[in-house]
Amino acid sequence: MLSTRVIACLDVHGGRTVKGINFVDLKDAGDPVEQANLYSKTGADEICFLDISATYEKRKTMLDVISKTAKTCFVPLTVGGGVNNLDNFCELLNCGADKVSVNSSAVYNPKIIRESSDKFGNQCVVLAIDAIENKAMPSGYEVTTHGGRKNTNLDVLNWAIQGVRNGAGEILLTSMNADGMKTGYNLQLTKLISENVSVPVIASGGAGNPKDMVDVVLKSGASAVLAASIFHFGIHSIFSVKKEMFKNGIQVRGCEN
Amino acid sequence: MKLIIIDYGSGNLRSVENAFLNSITDNNLKCNIEVTNNLHTISNADYLVLPGVGSYPDCKKGLQNTKGLIDVLSEQVIHKKKKFLGICVGMQLMFDYSLEKMRTPGFGWLSGNFSKIKAVGKDYLGRNYKVPHMGWNSLNLKYICHPILENISEKDQYYFVHSYYLKTSETSQLIASTNYCHQIPAIVGQENYLGVQFHPEKSSLSGQKLISNWLKWKL
Repeated sequence: MLSTRVIACLDVHGGRTVKGINFVDLKDAGDPVEQANLYSKTGADEICFLDISATYEKRKTMLDVISKTAKTCFVPLTVGGGVNNLDNFCELLNCGADKVSVNSSAVYNPKIIRESSDKFGNQCVVLAIDAIENKAMPSGYEVTTHGGRKNTNLDVLNWAIQGVRNGAGEILLTSMNADGMKTGYNLQLTKLISENVSVPVIASGGAGNPKDMVDVVLKSGASAVLAASIFHFGIHSIFSVKKEMFKNGIQVRGCEN
Repeated sequence: MKLIIIDYGSGNLRSVENAFLNSITDNNLKCNIEVTNNLHTISNADYLVLPGVGSYPDCKKGLQNTKGLIDVLSEQVIHKKKKFLGICVGMQLMFDYSLEKMRTPGFGWLSGNFSKIKAVGKDYLGRNYKVPHMGWNSLNLKYICHPILENISEKDQYYFVHSYYLKTSETSQLIASTNYCHQIPAIVGQENYLGVQFHPEKSSLSGQKLISNWLKWKL
């Protein structure tokens, strides 16, 4: 039986891990290579690096972080942030990334999903969607870019369906309203997308405790759960999340009895 | 010993190299790794590993871009009986053909072909089955005893990411399977050549066990 994945996300800025409340007010949570290794040793099913550096020079440091991590960390690595073209994909994959997530660049250049999935396979292309509540949209949610700062006038459900049609192999769905709040995932949003696309959906944004992970899997049908801050500051371990999931009948890796 | 990871532009060469290097160090094995598409070097190697991510036609094309590579591989594996491991699309290429995008012939070393996973119905939690089959899954080991399975149990889980699965009537090639909506062959092979549908290089300690077993496997 396929296990439901627990993914640890590391927000990286200029080679250091950070995690902010609603993407501002960043706090330093350490060295990404060391943290990724610790996470994989303690049961993370995947590691997700999100590069939030604003400049090209700072993003270059990410390649080094991935190379170092891939040498000792034998779980899938997803990298996103500032991926604008196929050359960026190539660089990241050559360093040892397994999947690349695209967010803003897909909004401004939708062809990047088709081109990258044609070249590298759809298993490698993750469409990251930052959703905010907007009642004027058909699905009730609007796609945003730049960490939620820019509106796009794109409907989240339509955008997800179109992304999958263009070749995205997975959707990383973040509720910007819930992100950093630790009040639980957006169950309605996650359910809406999970039920309407054929590829796996990763729930993101809002995890505050292990019960939130259980809820988004059982009530919204998420294929995987992602969290950052609750793991970074040792509030909850990956094991405690998996134990809670297992207790609630969800198959996980490394938690048999 | 000399191990070659075949370089034909597949994206995950470094991950495969890293995982094999780690296993060699952990087990104190005497084995050098080279990532190359040089036909002479490949012919002189002891062990061969064919990784593969992306689509079947693209991987096949990548191999064909190095003139004579497929012939040299067949010569070394089928006639010279060198130890071989195909990973993911590298495993799929060992068979007759795949229907991914278009019908593309493989090497034909093993009998079978690849069709899209039939994602029908709902899983044990009432979720729709998704394609790709992506994530960690356990193995069904009831088929045969094989040195590659040493110390591996049904508690071990492996990282899968694929949309096409092997259909074959040749059950003697089957070493392990997994379940996702239906039964999916996970480890296949005969004699000196094996293939795995999952990614041992991304399967943490369970993957390291399998890689070590393959390295230590005496033909």
